[in-house]
Amino acid sequence: MAAITGVLARPTSYAGVWGWMTTVDHKRIAVLYGVTAFIFLLIAGLEAGVVRMQLASADNDLISAGRFNQMFTMHATVMVFMVIMPLSVSFFNFVVPLAIGARDVAFPRLNALSYWIFLFGAVLMHISFLVNEVPDAGWFSYANLTEKPFSINRGLDFWAIGLLVMGAASVAGALNFVVTIINLRAPGMSMMRMPVFVWMTLITSILLVLAFPVITVGLIELTMDRNFGTHFFIPAEGGDPILWQHLFWVFGHPEVYILILPAMGIVSEVFPTFSRKPLFGYPFIVFSGIVIGIMGWAVWSHHMFTVGLGPVANSVFTITTMLIAVPTGIKIFNWIGTLWKGSIEFTTSMMFALGFVALFIVGGLSGVSHAVSPSDFQQQDTYYIVAHLHYVLFGGSIMGAFAGIYYWYPKLTGKMLSETLGKLNFWFIFIGMNLTFFPMHYLGLNGMPRRIYTYSAEFGWENMNRLASLGYVILFVAFLIFIVNLWQARNSRRVSHDPWDAPGLEWSIASPPPPYNFAEIPQVEGLDQYWIAKERARAAGTPLTEPEALVDPDSIHMPSPSYWPIFTAAGVALIGGGLLSHYAISFLGGAITMMGVIGWGNEPAAAPSEHH
Amino acid sequence: MGLLPFRRKGPLAKPSASISSVPTRRRSSLKNRTVLFSLMAALFLFATGCYKDGMSTWEAFGPVAQKQLDLFNVILWTMVVVFFLVEGVLVYAMIRYRRRPGQERPPQIHGNTTLEVVLTIIPTILVLALGIWSVFALFEIDKPPSDSPTPLQVNVTGHQWWFEFEYPDAGNGKKIITANEMRIPVDRPIQISLFSDDVIHSFWVPKLAGKLDMVPTHENKMWFQADSNKIDEDLPVTLFGQCAELCGLAHALMRFRVTVMEQADFDSWAAAYGPPPTVTDKAKKGAQVFATNCTLCHTVDGPDDPALSASRLKGFLTGGDITPVPAPNLTDLRTRQTLAAGMMELSETTLSAWLHDPAEIKPGNYMSEKAVLYQGGSVSLDEDEIDALIGYLLDLR
Amino acid sequence: MAHAAEHEYTTTGLNHRKMLMWVFLGSDCLFFGALIATYMVYRGQSLVGPYPIDIINVPVTTISTFVLLMSSFAMVQALAATNADNKRGIVSWLLATAFLGAIFIGFQIVEFNTFKNEGLTLGGNLFGASFFTLTGFHGAHVTLGIIWLLAMAILAAKGRVGSKTALDVELVGLYWHFVDIVWIVIFTLLYLIGGFDVGPVALPGG
Repeated sequence: MAAITGVLARPTSYAGVWGWMTTVDHKRIAVLYGVTAFIFLLIAGLEAGVVRMQLASADNDLISAGRFNQMFTMHATVMVFMVIMPLSVSFFNFVVPLAIGARDVAFPRLNALSYWIFLFGAVLMHISFLVNEVPDAGWFSYANLTEKPFSINRGLDFWAIGLLVMGAASVAGALNFVVTIINLRAPGMSMMRMPVFVWMTLITSILLVLAFPVITVGLIELTMDRNFGTHFFIPAEGGDPILWQHLFWVFGHPEVYILILPAMGIVSEVFPTFSRKPLFGYPFIVFSGIVIGIMGWAVWSHHMFTVGLGPVANSVFTITTMLIAVPTGIKIFNWIGTLWKGSIEFTTSMMFALGFVALFIVGGLSGVSHAVSPSDFQQQDTYYIVAHLHYVLFGGSIMGAFAGIYYWYPKLTGKMLSETLGKLNFWFIFIGMNLTFFPMHYLGLNGMPRRIYTYSAEFGWENMNRLASLGYVILFVAFLIFIVNLWQARNSRRVSHDPWDAPGLEWSIASPPPPYNFAEIPQVEGLDQYWIAKERARAAGTPLTEPEALVDPDSIHMPSPSYWPIFTAAGVALIGGGLLSHYAISFLGGAITMMGVIGWGNEPAAAPSEHH
Repeated sequence: MGLLPFRRKGPLAKPSASISSVPTRRRSSLKNRTVLFSLMAALFLFATGCYKDGMSTWEAFGPVAQKQLDLFNVILWTMVVVFFLVEGVLVYAMIRYRRRPGQERPPQIHGNTTLEVVLTIIPTILVLALGIWSVFALFEIDKPPSDSPTPLQVNVTGHQWWFEFEYPDAGNGKKIITANEMRIPVDRPIQISLFSDDVIHSFWVPKLAGKLDMVPTHENKMWFQADSNKIDEDLPVTLFGQCAELCGLAHALMRFRVTVMEQADFDSWAAAYGPPPTVTDKAKKGAQVFATNCTLCHTVDGPDDPALSASRLKGFLTGGDITPVPAPNLTDLRTRQTLAAGMMELSETTLSAWLHDPAEIKPGNYMSEKAVLYQGGSVSLDEDEIDALIGYLLDLR
Repeated sequence: MAHAAEHEYTTTGLNHRKMLMWVFLGSDCLFFGALIATYMVYRGQSLVGPYPIDIINVPVTTISTFVLLMSSFAMVQALAATNADNKRGIVSWLLATAFLGAIFIGFQIVEFNTFKNEGLTLGGNLFGASFFTLTGFHGAHVTLGIIWLLAMAILAAKGRVGSKTALDVELVGLYWHFVDIVWIVIFTLLYLIGGFDVGPVALPGG
């Protein structure tokens, strides 16, 4: 069976850099995703800083127009695809198998492949900085600005190909989670006994596998226009730039739900824990998530209200967009219902979750105002939209991610992040975020368009811009505090396996979890299984104070590490890289990918061990 | 520990201690919350000093902008009410149900179906009501009311990075092409057709109407009107406009003005539209400098010849180093207020600065890129020639 | 791939890899859907020829479509042979599927070449762009399938494919049938319906 497993022997241990490069353990992959996402968060945050410093004064000349266009393009592209999405996947990876009582995901090597393709794709896009040909047409890169002769350097090619590569990673990862959630739930865990976070992961993953192919086609057509002579979006030859917008937003709108549903899932885990009562209206929260996932496909043209589709089309999308506010409202009411008559503890995690709800209400309401299309004609492409999107993505997704980090950190490491620094972190983010983005509502309604590198003093926008830039400084400090918190936590005291008295299965095992997660696959009797078990034990007079006992790891047959995922991922990235430089490199990449697939196919999921 | 990071008994993590044994600081966190909310309210109030000038949408000078503003005001106040209601309940819940020391596990309520149904139906009715009203408004503002005076047709074409305004019939069949400043008569609907010759731009005059994109593949139609009873100043009044769709390097500098005037004043302007006079020697010299250096791209003797425009566009789209490109029509430059697509007030000084080094004022502009005049690093005209040119264009006697 | 029978735990009783393949095919539907949408949007929008009616050869492509359909039949036979542990049958039918698939690709190559010689190119007009992109990506899917089939045939020849590892054949079968169905859709839209599209009607006065 060892046969064609390649030149190198199969890795066996977890140790060192090689251990990380060949890991197929979902918990380690979660860390890889999380750390990578955080680094990109800092990069994109700095890009935002450049934007804010330039806009702090009227007629400022801190940076050139060209550089400014690059900064906001990369800020948004990195935040969406290289921060929020991988942060979400980091949580999917760490939490989902533990929460459903599984030992790993359905396809551990595919899981690793997703990470490495993502990393290489992200790096590929950033090589654009090294050659000073940086994407600069905005994160949704409307054609035909993106075509030649309007965008001549390779910036847009870096953008398109980087996204194509990262898209493959997203789809591969999402496929994995769909199968894992449907097929690896512990016995007794019916769909309606799954934690809400798992539900949101499932819906998000389904959205991912269905939405990414659409933008893949758009990106392929753009790349072909720019490099292979086609005219898909070139008006002079009959092409229609609006087709790009449709393709982009048919992907783009489900994408924003992909960005927010995981955070909503996290909040749905945190609220019950720190209210000490179950999530209010569980079926309604689940169903509203499903409805949002489905309805999210019917609203895309609200991003295109000002394109000139006509009043009939605009009316349809006005109504559908208005309606999609309803399931979101249901979630918010149910979260409040969870707090109601509960026993709320204001841990850092809970504060971030509460902050999520508070700020998402603002973002959601401004979103409803966009749905009113006649008024959107005034709001579109102004800072009013920038305000909305940051309230839902920063006040929403990022706050949710922080809630999750503070919540599951003790499970991942066995230690706690400092609550003192955590609360400082929270307040700086909350205040900074509001100071930065609330003024933008006013800027937009006062007529400030988006994506302008400068403005004149006569429009009266300077004060609000100053305020927003000041808010950025506070946010900057907030992230420094977080880094300090992470750093000092290395040496903090160990905590128990269940510091929060939480309901999820993941809290029933040791912190950090052993490689095999559960010594015995749990039997699930209902929602909030660990609360059920703890309650029963308490009632019997033998409270559960210890995690599930550890066993000899060798006694449980786990998938073995493998170098094929990183090898294959390198091949895929080279295919993309070759398209940006020399086609020969793409052929090499193709060959490497082929070799990788063959080697992978011939390697069993788990290396045969002495016990078998 | 409460909401704030003040330590009372050390960090939270004690392995087997029940969390509820750590007391919460009720009073100080309440006080701090009040402080916080006051700050937010103050911020809100400060910011609500609705800025009405410039590009602000809070002031409507015409029926289209008015309808959009009315709709927005309704949804704004609805949002504000919902905001205070929902946030209020959230904050109330946070305060009322905070954990007290020694508190037992609360009743494990799972849900309330009736509440869910009610809280689904009410928002649905609300959003549908707003949505349907929006749809009616959409159709209402789609065309001028049937009892309006005859609309004035203006064709607007977006270019990187300036606005071209064509009046197919400004009065008595006279065709006018001008750039960056649009004149309109008051109390008359202006029927606008939007085009683009290169990338997608967006035409936006906030005080008159919402924006509509200028797409290279099809004509977009909109209309607006300036109402004398909405404008509280004396006419003529100049309104601001700006491109609102990222269109390249100088997107931020692609601005324009709309001057609202009495029909009679508009007619005089239209009648006077024509090539700048060449009465003085300076003007004659200027005309010569212009003819030698500028006519490849700029027209100064009336509306641009369509065939010439087409060839300039073709040159621009096919690329190449020194090709003619579409450029603003300068026939009535002397009657304009601004220069370089609404960037600055027009005067001898500013025009001189522009002619000396356009790239300094508008980085990326095609005049610096493509005109032979600027290929040598600095403008290849001497001071006399520039002076004469300015005199000619601005009709300085 | 071809290792001991799956005895892993699954919540639904369905095999992980089969489920993966189904979800992947769902994703691929959207991919082809977007390409088909592009084609449909650009029907009749080409500014210059050649137009479908000048180029599309329905009779010839009917033959290649039939060949691809026959390859799906061969695929079904390969799976039957697998379940019956008929090693010779498995190898033969897998090779037959691949062979018929290759014939289809051959037809595509000849067709592309012919069209190119008649003036239809990627950059020539929107019909060329959308036609070649859509059918090209379909052809790429078929080609990857052929490679997969050949690899399976080699494994089968070594005796590593049988009723205990029938899933492996099922998986390639699912993929292959999907690719065939996509072709049916493409054939119907681009050939049977769109194949008779003429260019824009000449306006009076030229």
